[in-house]
Amino acid sequence: MKDTIVAIATPPGRGGVGIIRISGPEATLKSISLELLENTSKNPRQFSFEPRQTYFRRVVDSLNRVIDEGLVIYFAAPSSFTGEHILEFQGHGGPVVMDAVLQRAVQLGARLARPGEFSERAFLNDKIDLVQAEAIADLIDSSSQQAARCAVRSLQGVFSKKIHALNELLILLRTYTEASIDFPEEEVDFLSNSQVAIQLTELMDQLALIRNEACQGSVINEGINVVISGPPNAGKSSLLNYLSGLDSAIVTDIPGTTRDLLREKIVIDGLPVNIIDTAGLRESDEVVEQEGIKRAKVALEQADQIIFVSDGSEDNDTGDDQRLKLLQELAIDNIPMIWVNNKLDLMAQQKPSLCVEKKFSKICLSVKTGQGIELLTEQIKKLAGFNEVGEGSYTARRRHLDALDRVSENLQDAQMQLQSGAGELMAEELRLAQQALGEITGEFSSDDLLGSIFSSFCIGK
Amino acid sequence: MNFDKQYDVIVVGGGHAGTEAALAAARMGCDTLLLTHNIETLGQMSCNPAIGGIGKTHLVKEIDALGGVMGIATDHAGIQFRILNSRKGPAVRATRAQADRQLYRAFIRQTIENQPNLSIFQQSADDFIIENNRIEGVVTQMGLRFAARTVVMTTGTFLGGVIHIGLDNYQGGRAGDPASNALSKRLRELPFNIDRLKTGTPPRIDGKSVDFSVLEEQPGDTPCPVMSYVGKPQDHPQQVSCYITHTNAKTHQIIREGLDRSPMYTGVIEGVGPRYCPSIEDKVMRFADKDSHQIFVEPEGLTTHELYPNGISTSLPFDVQLDLVRSMQGFENAHITRPGYAIEYDYFDPQGLKNSLETKTVENLYFAGQINGTTGYEEAAAQGLLAGINAALQVKGKESWTPRRDEAYLGVLVDDLITLGTQEPYRMFTSRAEYRLLLRQDNADIRLTEVGRQLGLVDDHRWKTFQVKQEAVEQEKQRLLDTWVQPESEQGKAAATILGQPLRHEYTLHDLLKRPQMDYDKIRLMGGEVNIDDPEVLQQVETQVKYQGYIARQEEEIARLIKHQQTALPKTFDYQQVKGLSNEVRQKLELVRPETLGQASRISGVTPAAVSILLIHLKKINALKASA
Repeated sequence: MKDTIVAIATPPGRGGVGIIRISGPEATLKSISLELLENTSKNPRQFSFEPRQTYFRRVVDSLNRVIDEGLVIYFAAPSSFTGEHILEFQGHGGPVVMDAVLQRAVQLGARLARPGEFSERAFLNDKIDLVQAEAIADLIDSSSQQAARCAVRSLQGVFSKKIHALNELLILLRTYTEASIDFPEEEVDFLSNSQVAIQLTELMDQLALIRNEACQGSVINEGINVVISGPPNAGKSSLLNYLSGLDSAIVTDIPGTTRDLLREKIVIDGLPVNIIDTAGLRESDEVVEQEGIKRAKVALEQADQIIFVSDGSEDNDTGDDQRLKLLQELAIDNIPMIWVNNKLDLMAQQKPSLCVEKKFSKICLSVKTGQGIELLTEQIKKLAGFNEVGEGSYTARRRHLDALDRVSENLQDAQMQLQSGAGELMAEELRLAQQALGEITGEFSSDDLLGSIFSSFCIGK
Repeated sequence: MNFDKQYDVIVVGGGHAGTEAALAAARMGCDTLLLTHNIETLGQMSCNPAIGGIGKTHLVKEIDALGGVMGIATDHAGIQFRILNSRKGPAVRATRAQADRQLYRAFIRQTIENQPNLSIFQQSADDFIIENNRIEGVVTQMGLRFAARTVVMTTGTFLGGVIHIGLDNYQGGRAGDPASNALSKRLRELPFNIDRLKTGTPPRIDGKSVDFSVLEEQPGDTPCPVMSYVGKPQDHPQQVSCYITHTNAKTHQIIREGLDRSPMYTGVIEGVGPRYCPSIEDKVMRFADKDSHQIFVEPEGLTTHELYPNGISTSLPFDVQLDLVRSMQGFENAHITRPGYAIEYDYFDPQGLKNSLETKTVENLYFAGQINGTTGYEEAAAQGLLAGINAALQVKGKESWTPRRDEAYLGVLVDDLITLGTQEPYRMFTSRAEYRLLLRQDNADIRLTEVGRQLGLVDDHRWKTFQVKQEAVEQEKQRLLDTWVQPESEQGKAAATILGQPLRHEYTLHDLLKRPQMDYDKIRLMGGEVNIDDPEVLQQVETQVKYQGYIARQEEEIARLIKHQQTALPKTFDYQQVKGLSNEVRQKLELVRPETLGQASRISGVTPAAVSILLIHLKKINALKASA
């Protein structure tokens, strides 16, 4: 039995048209479609789409308010991308609207597709050639990593702290509940007093606060992080300035000028990018510069892409080898890297070039003249998966909100079960809540739970 | 010399795992030999004289549904029965029994001696006969060679066992029994991962020296519950009470002062002990703010005065044991009959086992019980039963059988062990079972009797009893669905009073019983007809009705996951060939070598993306194979 999945099929960013695809068994797909799309006298409440025909329809919320309007195409199995029944909606590509449509589909019973899941299903249903197996595996791997990075970014700062505090509360509550169930002879029966009820109410209050803030979007970052790094005075800040079109970084020819991180938000053809300029990496005795280098290293670990900038004009026989060595020191597993060999204008007879290696891609360009910059912006877009199935910040945020929605439902049911005296059913709801929250905070196994019980209570006859 | 007969199955060890293994194999028609170092201790309860507990009882009920002996033996030896969590929901209720050690042993021995196809031989096993990574038999202490097609090892804590009392220690498998050192040495030569665990037991007390008048009495439940699905209260011997006393500030003072001679606190013991069964010295040190601990005083039997003070497991020196026991109320003049001790022993990393409990490295050799890092009679017996079944299936040339996690606690137990391994003696808890609401003590028969019958484990009497109950349950469920209650009828008004709100329209009894305020007693109260006398049947129907929504939800999840569970990963799967897996995931998969995709997904750190990538790779290699 397969569940019905939904995803935004167009790249993240602000394109003109946005496509949302829902794929699954016929019955669920049709029932979702009936609720998702507006019913009018002209379009009565029945599923009447002919496969591969376009229809103009409105997407509405639970109160029949219009979220977006656009074209709907139905693909009947097996003649579709995934080989399942697919409903495709082409709407106005803005991220907020797309997110709202996605949310509505989830509300109606679809599940947010895992990264690469559409392609996975297509492959498993023989819609994609066997030769492509590795490409699909790569897609799943890379988009999962990208999703994980987006998730980490959207979990930075205050939001993360609150989510983890929430998780601690849930663990505590489960520790009390499960101890009461598994150790009835140990004087730890919290289900029969009000302790568990009080903890549950507190947990629900905390969750309500977090959901409220998360919905307002104030705590979630957007865009991919591109960190610029490299030896001092290679032109890192100049590159940042060029890309942002602003003189936000102080540029001098004194090595070590940039000490703190500089951040600039730019948009490359609709792709939101946070460019972060770091201190040039070198051994330094100066305290301020050392701190800058430390921060640079942290930024590198959280990057979606790393741009390594070097001065290509400092060329001699061993120059490139030295630069390559430095680049390899900076490289972090699974974070794509672009080597920008700068100062093409000072090099003899060189044209802008792009050369894709296994572990990095090398671009020769000149920040000063702008020659070859478009090679760089294209490569950033490509590495961001901008031309493939998108897994941007909005999707990361949607995943988190979706998980929090489910936690909330489970907690409400838990409260109901507790009130009717069914402690074991409350425990089941709490387990499901923890599973949903675990999608954000990481898995919490039954053995972890037992560990928490044994460290909280003295148990053992 | 060679023994003049080849056996289908040889079981080494006569504890709870060994006896269930031998009985299961013999019931399935295999020529079986039970090899034990001492026939007198068959079915011995080495630790506390009790069977069951939350999670553990669930295992006993499953063993029973599969025709095992533990449940029936408990009914014939149980001297106090109680239902734990009786005021909580049916999924987490558990019947627990104090057992008379002698009666229990006697019942087990009688069952074994009367089992067709099963022989016993007393002699300790010292060596194996292994040819081409396949076990061919066992060699005993005096050099007698037994040939066998399969061997089940259930040697408990006897492998390399070392007993500690204070700073003194000596080799032993259990107080009064020798350790199996030759076998331990032999096993260490084979390619298994071996480590040490530790467990402990309290000093035993002479009941004549205890003042019961100052202790809190804990009688058994009335009506008296039974353990087996075919058990009757009439099977029980005379019933007695347990008692409760407490440690106090003085006890804790004595313990703290004795720590300098504790083998655990001076680093003599290296094995890891269970977190849920700490020694009294551990409890006092780790929970220093607690000034008293509850101690359950359990009778060892009807024909002995010996008591088992459950809760003061200790390896402190004897003089400290004596002082700490005598510091408790009612125990001021207590006489210790046997000192408490800690025991360290070898166990084998269960990640080296298939889910049939056959070792991955030596064909036809099965491990079950404490040797796999578990603790508890119930956990041991459940594994023994499964190993016995699978050894017999192997002999018959049939596929192995193991219940899934959603079918039995036995499935959870085995899957946890082989997938996650264990760092402490593994004990069953209901919180380990994600399908807890499905795996209840009241429905182990519904879950397993049929498969037990197919395997040849369930006799006619049990099968008939099961069918009668099943039919009654189904009929009653149908009756509830077919019986309507009108809002204006007498019954409708009575129902409204119970529910605290009027009925808006007609309802079936099924709908009404679903409500939290409603049960069978209330249905009788509102004048509803109930024609069934068997409380088991009514309880079963009520539980199924009340849990319906949750059961449906869990069954949906199971249906979604079952495909992965049935997708086999080839034994020789080359994870290096799978592009897109991280090194961490690859290493974990190579370590565990899961048998199915479902098992792979439960290894910690194996992400859904990794599972997808494995699935795609499998499809590719299968397709290539098909086209080749």
